[in-house]
Amino acid sequence: MKKIEAIIKPFKLDEVKDALNDMGIKGMTISEVKGYGRQKGHKEIYRGAEYIVDFIPKVKIEIIVEAAMVEAVVTKIRETANTGKIGDGKIFVLPVEEVVRVRTGETGKEAI
Amino acid sequence: MIDVELRAKRDALEYLWRQGLSGKDLIHRHSQLIDDYLVSCFVNCPAAKEGISLVALGGYGRKELFPYSDIDLLLLHTPEAENRLEAVTQALFYPLWDAGLEVGHGVRTLNACLDDARQDFFFQVALLDARHLAGSETLFTSLQQTFHEDLIAGHRQEFLQNMMQHRNERHQRYGRHSYQLEPHIKESRGGFRDIQAMTWVSHALFGLHDLRDIEEAGLISPQEREAFVLASDSLIKTRNRLHYLSGRKNDQLFFEHQEEMAKAFKYYDTPGALGVERFMQDLYRHLQTIANITDLFFEHVDETLGAPRANPIEQAIEPGITVRQDRLHLTDQALIEKRPYLLMRLFSHAGKTGLDIHHRSKKIVTTNLHLVDDRLRHSKRMAKAFFDVLENAKDVLAVLSVMLDTGLLTAYLPEFEQIRALAQHDVYHVFTVDRHLLQTVAELRKLSFSQTQAPFVGVESPHVLALAALLHDIGKGHHEDHSQLGSKLAAGIGKRLGLTEAETACLSFLVEKHLFLTVTALRRDLEDDEFLRQCAKQIQTPDRLTMLYLLSIADAKATGPTAWTAWKDALLLEISLKISHLLEREDTILPNKSQGAEWMLEQVRNLMGKMAISDYEILPEEYMLSFSPEEVAHHLKLRTELKNAKHALTESTEHGLFWSILVIAQDSTGLLAKICGTLALHGLNVASAQIFTWEDGTVVDVLNVQPAAEQTYATQDWQALDNDLNLALKNRLGLSHRLVDKFRTAFRGPNQKNMQTAPRVAIDNSASKQYTIIEIFANDRPGLLYEITRTLADFEINIHQAKISSDSDQAVYVFYTIDGFATKINDPFFQQEISQALLHVAEN
Repeated sequence: MKKIEAIIKPFKLDEVKDALNDMGIKGMTISEVKGYGRQKGHKEIYRGAEYIVDFIPKVKIEIIVEAAMVEAVVTKIRETANTGKIGDGKIFVLPVEEVVRVRTGETGKEAI
Repeated sequence: MIDVELRAKRDALEYLWRQGLSGKDLIHRHSQLIDDYLVSCFVNCPAAKEGISLVALGGYGRKELFPYSDIDLLLLHTPEAENRLEAVTQALFYPLWDAGLEVGHGVRTLNACLDDARQDFFFQVALLDARHLAGSETLFTSLQQTFHEDLIAGHRQEFLQNMMQHRNERHQRYGRHSYQLEPHIKESRGGFRDIQAMTWVSHALFGLHDLRDIEEAGLISPQEREAFVLASDSLIKTRNRLHYLSGRKNDQLFFEHQEEMAKAFKYYDTPGALGVERFMQDLYRHLQTIANITDLFFEHVDETLGAPRANPIEQAIEPGITVRQDRLHLTDQALIEKRPYLLMRLFSHAGKTGLDIHHRSKKIVTTNLHLVDDRLRHSKRMAKAFFDVLENAKDVLAVLSVMLDTGLLTAYLPEFEQIRALAQHDVYHVFTVDRHLLQTVAELRKLSFSQTQAPFVGVESPHVLALAALLHDIGKGHHEDHSQLGSKLAAGIGKRLGLTEAETACLSFLVEKHLFLTVTALRRDLEDDEFLRQCAKQIQTPDRLTMLYLLSIADAKATGPTAWTAWKDALLLEISLKISHLLEREDTILPNKSQGAEWMLEQVRNLMGKMAISDYEILPEEYMLSFSPEEVAHHLKLRTELKNAKHALTESTEHGLFWSILVIAQDSTGLLAKICGTLALHGLNVASAQIFTWEDGTVVDVLNVQPAAEQTYATQDWQALDNDLNLALKNRLGLSHRLVDKFRTAFRGPNQKNMQTAPRVAIDNSASKQYTIIEIFANDRPGLLYEITRTLADFEINIHQAKISSDSDQAVYVFYTIDGFATKINDPFFQQEISQALLHVAEN
């Protein structure tokens, strides 16, 4: 099992969610995050005053999938979230040791 | 097996309820059923003889036993009966427990009762509802007598203060966000506890036993009693059903219950609102009715019994409105009928002074609502007082809340009726729509005081923005999209309230687009320039952008604790800044741009009519695209005048925060410098300037200026400005020395040195295709613009456009320029020379 964490632009969330649902992925965790990578914060000047936008708002999607699905999911997210511009985001794939469903106690594949 | 019988009887009661036994009948029948049972137990218990009395307390004492309410009992006994108690309690309480009922029980002697009542206010209040069930009547009577003699008589003031304090604490505890969505119909504001608090106080302090007594004593009006009964009957039905639905003592209306209750009470979904939303709307209205009436009741009683208030001096504020003991009073019914706008004036005074309106005057407002007719809704005086509340009230939320509660707001703006107490069935919208709208006005006010939103502050028409905050959701609860409908309704309201056409258009725009920025920031690519340009086109002006930005934040903050986060803040700021940059560059969004110079020329020809001229080709394309056809035609007419008059012409217009000055003159060296110098001499700071030269040598300059302090548009001496400018143009006015004279003191300010940062000059040839952009960052001082423009004139540099912004002492001057040969300034040596010269000026 793997965990996929994707950091994407906020306006791409709906598209990515729909695309993943179409692939049969039913559950995901979504959070509003702020950060910066190569797309550094920037300075805005308005009416003579400077405003520093240091962290850029992004959305983080977390999904747990079976190892066999990883490639397809990552590709789908990459295709959907891509605008070709700087700041499109990143996708991380991490190993997951165990999953437990709180209600039933099911573990592993069954609990995803 | 006696508990089986009890269970069966309660099941039978539930059956009867399903058959339609409801409201008060049900809770009375339930009490009767328990009474019968307990009395028979008591009578059949051999140990229950003299010296013991069975007493019902609390809700059960009042014969208001809801399906799963606690049964509060007191076993009152003499010390001598102590040894028989165990047998009695076993006979009475065990079967109740076995039947699964919640029993609150106490076994006390008379003295223990009184001691406990002294310690515990809740027990004291429970004793007020004491009702004799069985056993010794003399014992019960002596409890009642001593209780009233020892604890109530002589302690009326204390009792009242305790009750009011508990009521306030309860309102706070049950007024939190979670209880807004899922109200607790017993403890929340306007719930059963408020009803009881009123009856307890009436009973204990005035010996009044029911609502009719209270009405006859003049504590509530007949209309209030009717409304009160209607609301409380409805709450009783709701609570009965809630108990049966939950299968336990539950008085909080959770989401899942709300839907089921709505269905059971036959509220069906309609276009525009869910059944459950209508159901909750009615419920919230009932709670509000109870809350309003009990509020006024307590204010009244407190005034009657409470300590005299500090400030006894009576002071008339205006005819018909008086301050007495720190409360505002309406004093003259006849005058109200003659000048009904006094009703609104009362609120504007409440806003201005921060004083409460006396409860009797609130009632006067309510009983005079029939005076709020169509004519009054169009009244200028009424509108003025209303805007005064919106803009200036110290605690705008409190004043508007009272205006809503008295009914004046809905009478004045009937559009409000639809959304009054309207709930939205989700966890996001915490408040009902009407309260949310009032909160938004309050949040907007907070924003205008806070510095964090600094890039977008100061709007031209704050009253329009405040009204937009109050109306932005006015279209909710209908089938139609609420922004569209709201925008139509708002336009009607704006017109009625006497806004100008432009203000009404702006109001309607704000209501229609109140979600635009938030939605766009979340759902659209903020790097899509074409899309941003579309946004800018829709928003049109920086002022409107500022208003939308402030409204978006206030709206979100007033929605609920989850609706506004730093994350959304960052997104909203980003899109707003991006749009603002586009709006500053008017050329990208000017509506006529796309239609081209040809089209413009056609329009101008039509407008000129008989005054047609032959030399339209002198008008540069750039110029044509910067003005409306009407403005161009006007400029052409002025040129004719210019030729006859032989001196420069000036015209000024007021645009709220800034004034604009049009100068038409014959081109000459240093013209702009002379204009800027003259303006500085007259205390006007230039914020931006557009400079055009026609091919026949006519110059059309438009300068947006802001006045120095203490000048108003009306007091500004425009004729003197015109005279001085013409003297300067004829080289008869020594601008340099006059400016130094005028600002001599300003140059030597004591703290100026500390804040100085080194001036800087940047020359940029890449940002614009046609022009070289010269930027000068300098410590601002009066007359600096004059010296900079004069320096540029010395280099024979033509300035096409200028923008000046100052932030505290640092000013940024931006000039779009070409050299004397109408080309960009490319020569590095020349660039260097210009920089040095400008730095020299800026440093002096």
